[in-house]
Amino acid sequence: MKKEIADEIKRIVGAQHVLEAFEDKYCYIYDASAINVGKAGVPSLVVFPANVDEISSLLKLANQYKFPVIPRGAGTNVSGGTVSHADAVVLVLKRLDRILEIDERNMMAEAEVGVITASLQAEVEKRGLFYPPDPASRGFSTLGGNVAENAGGPRGAKYGVTRNYVLSLEVVLPTGEIIRTGAKTMKDVAGYDLTDLMIGSEGTLGIVTKVTVKLLPLPWAKKTMLVVFDDLCKACETVAQVFMAGVIPTTMELLDNIYIRAIEDYVHIGLPVDAEAVLLIEVDGDEVALGPQIELVRQICTNQGATSLRVARNAQEADELWVARRSAFAAVARVKPTIIGEDCTVLRDKIPEMVRKIRAIAEKYNVTIAVLGHAGDGNLHATLLADERDKDEMERIEKAIDEILTSTLEIGGTLTGEHGIGRVKRKFLPLQLGKGGMQAMRAIKLALDPNNILNPGLGFGD
Amino acid sequence: MWTDMEREVIRCIKCGACQTVCPVFRELGTESAVARGKIRLIKAAISGDVESRSARFGELLSRCLLCGACQENCPSGVNFHDLLTRARVQLAEEKGLPLLTRLVLRLGLRNRRVFEAALGFGSLGQWLMFRRASSGEGMLPRLPMGLDMRRLVAPVSSQSFRSRHPEAINVTNPKRKVAFFTGCMINHLYPETGESVLKLLSRNQVSVVLPASQHCCGAPAFSNGDEATAIEMAKSAVSTFAALDVDAVVTACGSCGAMFRKQFPELLRNLPKYFEKSQMLARKTIDFTELLVDIGLSGELTKVKRNVTYHDSCHLVRIQGVRSQPRRLIGSIPGVTLSEMEQPGRCCGGAGSFSLHHYDLSCKIVHQKLDDIVATEADTVVAGCPMCVMHIRDGVHQNGLPTKVMHTADLLAEAYDD
Repeated sequence: MKKEIADEIKRIVGAQHVLEAFEDKYCYIYDASAINVGKAGVPSLVVFPANVDEISSLLKLANQYKFPVIPRGAGTNVSGGTVSHADAVVLVLKRLDRILEIDERNMMAEAEVGVITASLQAEVEKRGLFYPPDPASRGFSTLGGNVAENAGGPRGAKYGVTRNYVLSLEVVLPTGEIIRTGAKTMKDVAGYDLTDLMIGSEGTLGIVTKVTVKLLPLPWAKKTMLVVFDDLCKACETVAQVFMAGVIPTTMELLDNIYIRAIEDYVHIGLPVDAEAVLLIEVDGDEVALGPQIELVRQICTNQGATSLRVARNAQEADELWVARRSAFAAVARVKPTIIGEDCTVLRDKIPEMVRKIRAIAEKYNVTIAVLGHAGDGNLHATLLADERDKDEMERIEKAIDEILTSTLEIGGTLTGEHGIGRVKRKFLPLQLGKGGMQAMRAIKLALDPNNILNPGLGFGD
Repeated sequence: MWTDMEREVIRCIKCGACQTVCPVFRELGTESAVARGKIRLIKAAISGDVESRSARFGELLSRCLLCGACQENCPSGVNFHDLLTRARVQLAEEKGLPLLTRLVLRLGLRNRRVFEAALGFGSLGQWLMFRRASSGEGMLPRLPMGLDMRRLVAPVSSQSFRSRHPEAINVTNPKRKVAFFTGCMINHLYPETGESVLKLLSRNQVSVVLPASQHCCGAPAFSNGDEATAIEMAKSAVSTFAALDVDAVVTACGSCGAMFRKQFPELLRNLPKYFEKSQMLARKTIDFTELLVDIGLSGELTKVKRNVTYHDSCHLVRIQGVRSQPRRLIGSIPGVTLSEMEQPGRCCGGAGSFSLHHYDLSCKIVHQKLDDIVATEADTVVAGCPMCVMHIRDGVHQNGLPTKVMHTADLLAEAYDD
């Protein structure tokens, strides 16, 4: 990067908010994906703007001098959405970290994009309100990142994903104009829905600076149960049966035998290691209604042939049941060092078929694939366990992932339920969208970002 | 070798969970501040992407408190504490230690007589260099001399704790017989805390051995990457304490205890003559609060009117696993109310020589701790490590707070005042 451009950037944000040393910048070549670009990916600068006006000025400058800009929150996405490349300027949005308003009367909140999702949740919960999206990273990921990736989480089965809560956004367009999308009202059909266009756009269509979200009343109570099955298909069939009976559980987490063994090995909580599946089911809402609901779920599970079933009688017991799910990741991380989490998503009634396919793929390529699922919404996390130092194994892992993705599409699923396309899955996107879909996306990208400034590595503007 | 670290490095999946708890990241907000970034840098040193001898590389790796919070919160269970100390050893081997650090560690620390003579001289000469703080709880530098001018430090005692006592302090009908490892800070800077520990042990029918040949635990050498000196100190401690006929070795410093319980066996793993003894010593070493809870406080406790909040020293709570014992003891003092602060285990920023090298940063970190302390409305904050006491006391002084900062032993000893 030319010195005068760097000087101009420093003038905009203040020199103390720019990282220039190679070693400092090296720490921005990665996110939580497995992509490893090495020193070729070291950006020209890492910049920490303070507000929307600085971001606007930076983007105008980027268009003037044609340098790529990669917006970044906490860098916790697993799709390679914020992996940097040479010549790029990484824009870290963490300084925009104020919660601006919690409007209890209208049940909404407005915050800057650098706010950590869990901090917003904690603040609204103090007031008896509820912001449901719960990606695993919510303790350290930012609202902006959640919007850019349209993050989901275990509660998705009942409460949906980030998209279902965003009312309005303040966005800096790739060319530097500042706009407000949507409205804070509950209903709004004025013009194209630019809010929905920005959500999940992975930092390619604009830089979100403020987010207005709607809130729900905090559920009064919840009930938790843990069900063990000796047959994976029976467990999967149970998922559909529960919904058909009219119960929408908050969470319905499925763990397969590989997870069960790893968890039992790690935390010793008495899970039967020969069990084929465990379902962790939680329902929430009106306390009076919960009793009959959990009873109904219990009957369905028993009819489906559950081998054991535990309903927590109080919060402490519920917490004990959650231990299995919460320690799932830590448990498999101790089996092999390299963990790659996929998130192919299928219709609920296709879960058994998809799990069978994943097992066949694991066998075919001789790799270990554990399955954890947000089964309530068909979002399966095939977890590939490997050792990145074993080149042969990594090649087989890559082939297995390719086949999982194509298999997902074959049975009418989607490449990604909540992680995003990023750099990890870009080569597969045409398979799902077709030529026409790709062209429409490219047209939108270039209409808003004619110089292909924002996150060009994702390939929408090529 | 950097490559020896690869096995641990690849276990980091870069999820970023360390951002949630890292006190340095909270202040700096940069990736290099947090474990994930430092692990990437170590990986880059392995692959040759970065030059490990570069000044910036060393500077970035120095910005870690070794508080262990990230490790406790790591879903993959990466042993970052171990990884970073190994990286610092590697750096020290490649570049050598800075002159002042080398002088202090190699010449001063390794030789107990030089060390004690220097501190003895220091106790006389220090008032030329320092002035008494108005709060009456420490002293401030008169000249820059490598210390920040604002830094409140404890004066070197004119008579060290150990020099005041015989090697054996026996009680009649002892419930236990223990050896007391004082550590340097208690011996030279806070002898009154040593007196409190001794009083607590004697009043609870514990006979105490105070070996005269005990020396520094080596923590300053260990955390600065001077493995050779740390091994010397470990050997010295093992030689002095392993052979003693005692029920336990007692410490009253989070970091000293952590060296005895965790680091000595690791440092001495390749020295068969010492390794087994160091393991035995590790099993035998306990914090004085563990001992007191084990035997139960005896005698009549006098009323102490204090509203107390307890700060968990990183090495006491996360390495030694001592969390409930100090709280139980404090809670049993008549008149004392114990109010928990937010995140009592968040590092105060003291972290040994970290607060010398990065004073501004450690001041910012202590600020968060002070906010948490003030929010409890406690009039007294208690900690189980003299380093935390010094650093929080410094923070209290800089910010003009009325809060009293005490070592757990000093608070408990008040309840035994006649």
